[in-house]
Amino acid sequence: MSEGRVALRVGRYRPEHAPEPYFDDYDVPTSDDMVVLDALNHIKDHIDGSLAYRWSCRMGVCGSCGMMVNGVPRLTCSTFLREFHSEPIVVEPLRYFPVIRDLVVDMTDFLEKLRTVKAWIIREDEKPVEEGEYLQTLDEVDRYKQFSMCINCMLCFSACPVYGQDPDFLGPAVIALAHRYNLDSRDQGRAERQRVLELNNGIWDCTFVGECTVVCPKDVDPAAAIQRSKVSTATRTLRSVVWPFGGRE
Amino acid sequence: MDRSPVAELSLGDILEDSDAREVKRRPSSARPRRESRMRQLLRPEPMFWGLFSAGGFVAALLLPITVGILGIAFAAGWLPMEALSYERIVDLVSHPLAKLYLLALVSLPLFHWAHRFRYTVHHQFGVHGLKRLIAVACYGTAIAGAALAALVLLRI
Amino acid sequence: MRTEAPRRYPVYVPKVPPTWWLQTAPFRRFAAREFTAVFAAAFSVILLLFLFALSQGKEAYEGFLRWLRLPAVVSLSSIILLAMLYHAGTWFRLTAHIQVIRVGKNDVPRGAVVAALLGIWIVVSAIVAYFYVWF
Repeated sequence: MSEGRVALRVGRYRPEHAPEPYFDDYDVPTSDDMVVLDALNHIKDHIDGSLAYRWSCRMGVCGSCGMMVNGVPRLTCSTFLREFHSEPIVVEPLRYFPVIRDLVVDMTDFLEKLRTVKAWIIREDEKPVEEGEYLQTLDEVDRYKQFSMCINCMLCFSACPVYGQDPDFLGPAVIALAHRYNLDSRDQGRAERQRVLELNNGIWDCTFVGECTVVCPKDVDPAAAIQRSKVSTATRTLRSVVWPFGGRE
Repeated sequence: MDRSPVAELSLGDILEDSDAREVKRRPSSARPRRESRMRQLLRPEPMFWGLFSAGGFVAALLLPITVGILGIAFAAGWLPMEALSYERIVDLVSHPLAKLYLLALVSLPLFHWAHRFRYTVHHQFGVHGLKRLIAVACYGTAIAGAALAALVLLRI
Repeated sequence: MRTEAPRRYPVYVPKVPPTWWLQTAPFRRFAAREFTAVFAAAFSVILLLFLFALSQGKEAYEGFLRWLRLPAVVSLSSIILLAMLYHAGTWFRLTAHIQVIRVGKNDVPRGAVVAALLGIWIVVSAIVAYFYVWF
C-alpha cells in the first residue's frame, strides 16, 4: 500500500456514555513506513482525542501496545499498515482481559499471577555485598536466556484458548517466567514456585495448543517452557517413586 | 482543580483489591518445609500426564502398523488367512512378553485418551464445573480397560 | 472469580464463545489433533475385543475375524488409521519442539529430530509387522 488513506475500525468502550462496547470508524493517511500505532496516534492527535490506549517505546521492547489487530494479538508498534490488503483494519482491546476503556485492558490478573509464581530470584542465603557478584558462565546464562526475553506484553494470554475458557489458568508468560527463574543458576526458589505451578490451574491446565509461541514477538516460546516444566515435574515425581531415598529436592 | 478519585489510585491499591487466588500468599519470611514424599506421590497430575505421554508414543509408534495389519491388510484380504489363524495367534500371545506388550498396547492409548478427553470436555465442550467427576470418569474408564485387558490376557 | 473483584472502575468482560475452536485454522487443527485420541481409544476397545474373542476359543475368535472383515468395520479401521497417522505426525513435531538434544555445543535441529522419530517409527513398524505376519 503506497501513499494514500486507510480505514481503521477501532473498538471503543466508554462506560460513562454506554454500557456496551462499540466501534468507531476512522480514515487515516498512510504510508509505507507507518504502523498501526502511528495510525492510532494520528487519530488521537488530529481526529478524536478521546481515544484511550497504551503505548510507550514504539519499538517492540516495552510490551505496552498489545492489541487485537484483525483478530490477532499484535504489538501495534510493530504491525505495519502495508501488511493489510483489505479494509477496514480492525483494532480491538487485547482479548480475554476485562476492558477498562477503549483499547485499555485490566492487567491486574496478570500482575497478580506474576506475584504468585514469585517471578524473581529467590535466595535461601543472601551473599553479602562485599563478597561480590553471583557469577554465571555463558552456558548457565544460555539455559534461561530465551525465557528472560519476555516483555510482559500479554499477547500470549490473548492467544491462549485455555486462558479464554478458564481465567484461573496461570497463563503462558507467567509459567514461562517461573520456568526462567527455575532455570537460573542463581535462584534457589524452585520448590516454592513448584507449589504454585503444580496446582490444577498451573502447568497441567495447558494442552499445548501452541498459539502462545506463534504470537510471541520476542521468541520466548512459552509453550516449550510449559511442556518442559511438565516433563521435569513428571520425571522428578517418577524418580522419587522409583528411588525414594536421597534428600535431593 | 480538584483531583478526580481515579487519579489517587496507586498500583498498590489496585493490587490490594484483586480477588483471592487459589494460593494463599505466605509472608516472604517464611520458608516452605520440603514437601513430604508421601504428599508428592499422592498428587496424581504428573502421573496422569506421564501416562498420557507414554500413551501418545504407543499410539504414534505402534498403532498405525497394528491398525494397518489387523484392521485393513488382513480384513481386505491382502494377508494370507493362516497369518492370523487361531493356533498361531494363541501361540504368539501366550508368551509372557507378548502379554506385557499387548497390555501396554491396549492400556496406554486408553490413558492417552482419558487425559486428552478430560481437557477436551472442559475446553472444547465448555464444561467448566464437575472437574472431579469428569476426571474420575475418564481415568476410571482407562483403569477399567486396563484391568479388563489384564484379566483377558491372563486367561489366554 | 475476577469479574466479581471490587474495583474502583467499571470494566467490560467480553463473553468467550464456546465454539472458539472452530474459528481459526490453527484452532481447528488443534481440535482435530486432540480428537484423534478418541480413535486411539476406539482401537484399544477393538483390540480388547480381539483378545477376549481369542480367550474364548477358536469359534469365538474366527467369528471376531469375520466381524473385522465387514465393510463397515474396515471403514472404521481406515478412519482410525488416518487419525493415528495424523496423531503420529503432530506428536513427532511437538516432541521435537519440546525436547532439545544437545550434541557438543549445539542443539540438534528440530527437523532432524522429527526425521529420527520417523526413522524409529519405520523400524518399529517393520518389527511389529514381522511378528504379526511372518514369525
